Amino acid sequence: MIVGRREAWLGRVFLVLLMVMTVLPLVSLFVTALHPSGTYPTGLEWPSEPRWDNFATAFQAAHMGELLQSSTLIVLGVVPLSLLLATMAGFAIGQLRMKGHRWVFLMFVLGLTLPYEGVITPLYYQIRDLGLLNSRWAIILPLIALFMPFGVFWMRAHFVTMPGDISEAAQIDGANSWQQFWRIHVPLAMPAISSLAILQFLWTWNQFLLAIVLVGDPRKRTMAGALGAFQGQWGTDIPLLCAGSLLVLAPVLVLFLIFQRRFTSALLQGSLKG
Amino acid sequence: MTQRMAGGVLTPPAARSEVLTKTAKPRVRRRGKAWVAWLFVAPAITAYALFVLLPMGRTVQYSFYEWDGIGASPWVGFDNYVKVFTDPELSGTIVNAFELIVFFSGVPVLLGLAIAATIRRIATSRLAAVARTVLFIPQVIPLVAAGIAWSWLLSGNGLVNQVLSAVGLGGVTRAWLGDFGTALPAVGVIGAWVLLGLCTLLLLAGMSKIDPALYEAARIDGAGPLREFFSITVPSLRQEIGVCVTVTVIAALASFDIVYIATQGGPGNTTMVPGLEIYYQAFVERQVGVASALAVVLVVLVLVCVLPIQRLTKEES
Amino acid sequence: MPRRTSHRGSLAGAALLAAALLAACGGPGGTGVQSTDTGAALTEKPTCGTQPVTLRAYFETGFPLPKALSDEFSKQFPNVKWDIREDQFAVITQNAPRVLADDPPDLMRLPQVSELVKNNLLKNLDGYAGVFGWDKWPASQLEQLRMKPGGGARGEGSLFAMGLNFSVTGVFYNKTLAERVGMTAAPTTLAEFDGVLAKAQQAGVTPITVFNGGATGGLAFPLQNLMAAYGDPKPVNDWIYQKPGATIDTPSNVKAAGHLQGWIKSGYFAKDANAMDYAKMMSEFLAGNGLFMFNGDWESGNLDKKMPGEVGFFPLPAEKGGKVAAMSAPLTFGIGAKAKNADCAAVFLDWVATNETARRIAVEVGGSHPMGAADAKMPAVAQGTVTAETLAAGERISKDNGAMDFIANATGAIYAKSWTPQLQKLFAGEQSPEGLLKAVQSDYQTQVGS
Repeated sequence: MIVGRREAWLGRVFLVLLMVMTVLPLVSLFVTALHPSGTYPTGLEWPSEPRWDNFATAFQAAHMGELLQSSTLIVLGVVPLSLLLATMAGFAIGQLRMKGHRWVFLMFVLGLTLPYEGVITPLYYQIRDLGLLNSRWAIILPLIALFMPFGVFWMRAHFVTMPGDISEAAQIDGANSWQQFWRIHVPLAMPAISSLAILQFLWTWNQFLLAIVLVGDPRKRTMAGALGAFQGQWGTDIPLLCAGSLLVLAPVLVLFLIFQRRFTSALLQGSLKG
Repeated sequence: MTQRMAGGVLTPPAARSEVLTKTAKPRVRRRGKAWVAWLFVAPAITAYALFVLLPMGRTVQYSFYEWDGIGASPWVGFDNYVKVFTDPELSGTIVNAFELIVFFSGVPVLLGLAIAATIRRIATSRLAAVARTVLFIPQVIPLVAAGIAWSWLLSGNGLVNQVLSAVGLGGVTRAWLGDFGTALPAVGVIGAWVLLGLCTLLLLAGMSKIDPALYEAARIDGAGPLREFFSITVPSLRQEIGVCVTVTVIAALASFDIVYIATQGGPGNTTMVPGLEIYYQAFVERQVGVASALAVVLVVLVLVCVLPIQRLTKEES
Repeated sequence: MPRRTSHRGSLAGAALLAAALLAACGGPGGTGVQSTDTGAALTEKPTCGTQPVTLRAYFETGFPLPKALSDEFSKQFPNVKWDIREDQFAVITQNAPRVLADDPPDLMRLPQVSELVKNNLLKNLDGYAGVFGWDKWPASQLEQLRMKPGGGARGEGSLFAMGLNFSVTGVFYNKTLAERVGMTAAPTTLAEFDGVLAKAQQAGVTPITVFNGGATGGLAFPLQNLMAAYGDPKPVNDWIYQKPGATIDTPSNVKAAGHLQGWIKSGYFAKDANAMDYAKMMSEFLAGNGLFMFNGDWESGNLDKKMPGEVGFFPLPAEKGGKVAAMSAPLTFGIGAKAKNADCAAVFLDWVATNETARRIAVEVGGSHPMGAADAKMPAVAQGTVTAETLAAGERISKDNGAMDFIANATGAIYAKSWTPQLQKLFAGEQSPEGLLKAVQSDYQTQVGS
């Protein structure tokens, strides 16, 4: 199996190259962040005196403390409610299958490909009329709705594979639909729900368009939106910008590295199902 | 938006396959307490109707008016649509979006296939396990951060030029995002970077499901790696390829974050994409009608591009 | 199977469309007549009171003057605190209409004001001008900020914004490099200037550092200076003020654009100019990589600090010498029409022009001439500094009656959507001088017409 071994080596080389390509931009960010603030370093060049204090400056300039809090609040506003609504709807469509459930499902599925740009303009006026402009609700409310197509689709995919006998057995025990839902179906759906939670957390945390259009104050935005503002303000100071970018992407990266299995499986799961 | 689709939501496409296969399964329906079921879906429908369907309807509505977002709004019929297709500045954004597909979809899918095929044999090694994590990083970090990192790499004194100079190609160095000829491809490269790892892993996962016996049989028949690739690997991966193409095409057509950060549509209008143009028209030029018409065109365009891909990759299964 | 689904899909699509059409009865937006602020006269000077006030301000990043002034103001009026948001100018331009309409700050750095006034987004300052006596200042200071309430040409009518100071633009030069290429005195004709450019290039010095990247086409600076060198500033101002029938596509402007193209073709600008932003240009100039820089006196203070005694300034000479004209504009700030603390913001604007410390800050930090009455005390400036040179140039320009507003200020979108892309094309060799002016004029007509 000489061929096989050579192929394996080639594969390794390819894989390593690909990984290097993937992390290079981040390495470049990091090295540049260590140069004196306000300079224009060249490429990948280790500074003579690494300026670690750039991170402290960027932390302050970006109001990282407040940002973390703001993003967390937005995630807490979006994800639990969105999960609940999607799970309930998925349960109804996948398990209870009332008359017309296909129509309802199709209505949601049609929203799967909707680009947010398609609704952003009216959303702005709608949020303004609700008096919610420049508040975190301006991101939370639309995001819950915009997550519905995928959430419902995802949860229905889970419920549709659950055998109906479970419900029937419970029905005989006298549990009503609401009790069945909470006592039997939600616990069984936990793996699907937690994967969905991870995905929705990522999309919320990284949401950019809604943040820059609907919330002017960067301190009430998501992380990504705040990074946009940070670039708008400090974009001309490259080392500071790089330091700020790293700080902004750090929390989600750390979470990813800690829970990498869960994240990757959540991210790949959908396709594997298909 | 792009992040939503690219961000591992490989699933929308899979979703469609579900629509096709599973809804059709005949099963006993419990119609008895339909109203209970409706209570379960009602909150989701309400949210969806309020913040997705209603704004979508309003986008359609606005697209028939000339409105500056403040004052009165005269009805202008299809004028805004005519403008979208005849004003080169607006129609150009659609052309740009299609050019981006080459990079956002073409590169990750083709390169992803090649890489996946090459590393297939070591898919279970420890190196591959590490790679699975590393390759997902672009999917996890905000696109804004990717845009900032790459703007710097591609700038006049960025790493890309440094490498080129080091290998004796100093003559081609330039500010890649500021050059008329290279700005759009440079934006494309950023997109390709974001999507390549994802596509590779998806395709690799697909390959792991191919029956090894198929390959053995092919080898016995004397097939080389190339023929093996085209006659076994690619056909078996129809569905995964479909998923990749769908996700990446949507990411290209609806791109916003990367362009907003890296070029703001410049130089000239060479990298202006529909998403960014909608933003500019609606909030800077205050041509809400034109912005809405372009938004409707974009929504339809995405559907028109994605549905045939679904059809194509599903037909045989 | 697919057929059935798609059939159902199209039905659902039709349902969605129907819902959309249902929503489509009647146009969006209000139809009622908007009240127009005519700036009623005030009887007594407003104050900031004694209660704690927080002024919400929106400043431009990278320019320390407003921040320095606001700090000093709080020192003198301790009950006033500031809530300051900062962005780059391009971002402010994007956000201005939205922010002023829906989340109005008390004090805001403004881009072009025409559309903002048309949409009644700015407070009419006539009342304040009367009670504070701003209308007794030299009229030219505030001309660019005047407009008829509700719309019309700029340049006359009610006052809708104020300056923190007024700036002048021209050519900064690096004295060391100038000496090296044999430039002993400021050029007095355009041909002489061209001669220096050629000599610099031969000496291996980048003749002009410029920015032309992203959303900010900095070639507008040399272009407008060249327009002034080739022709009368009046028609250019008329165009910027949106006077009826004005055009930018004039023979002398074509010559100016052609001259600029000549500089581009000769390679007098750094070749990656289309990727340079303003800050990059500044850092190049500060690093000594460039003989000339077209810029404004808002950098004078900065240059005096970072390159003391190293930098000189002159207005670009006219084609045949003689009278000079240049962009000279107030550092424009306005008060939102619906601002909560408009009175206090107005007090601040008046204080900036009349308080001695504030005027000193305007010169030292801002580098430009303070606003205010003609006989107001001028802060002392050390001789030999660029600040002294730019102030002198400013006086010369106002004596020659050569002040022009910036061509990028003609309409709200003209800079981002016309000048910048067109100048980037010109730089890349994809646009001709004639084509550039025609394209800008055609965009202008659509924007002014609508």
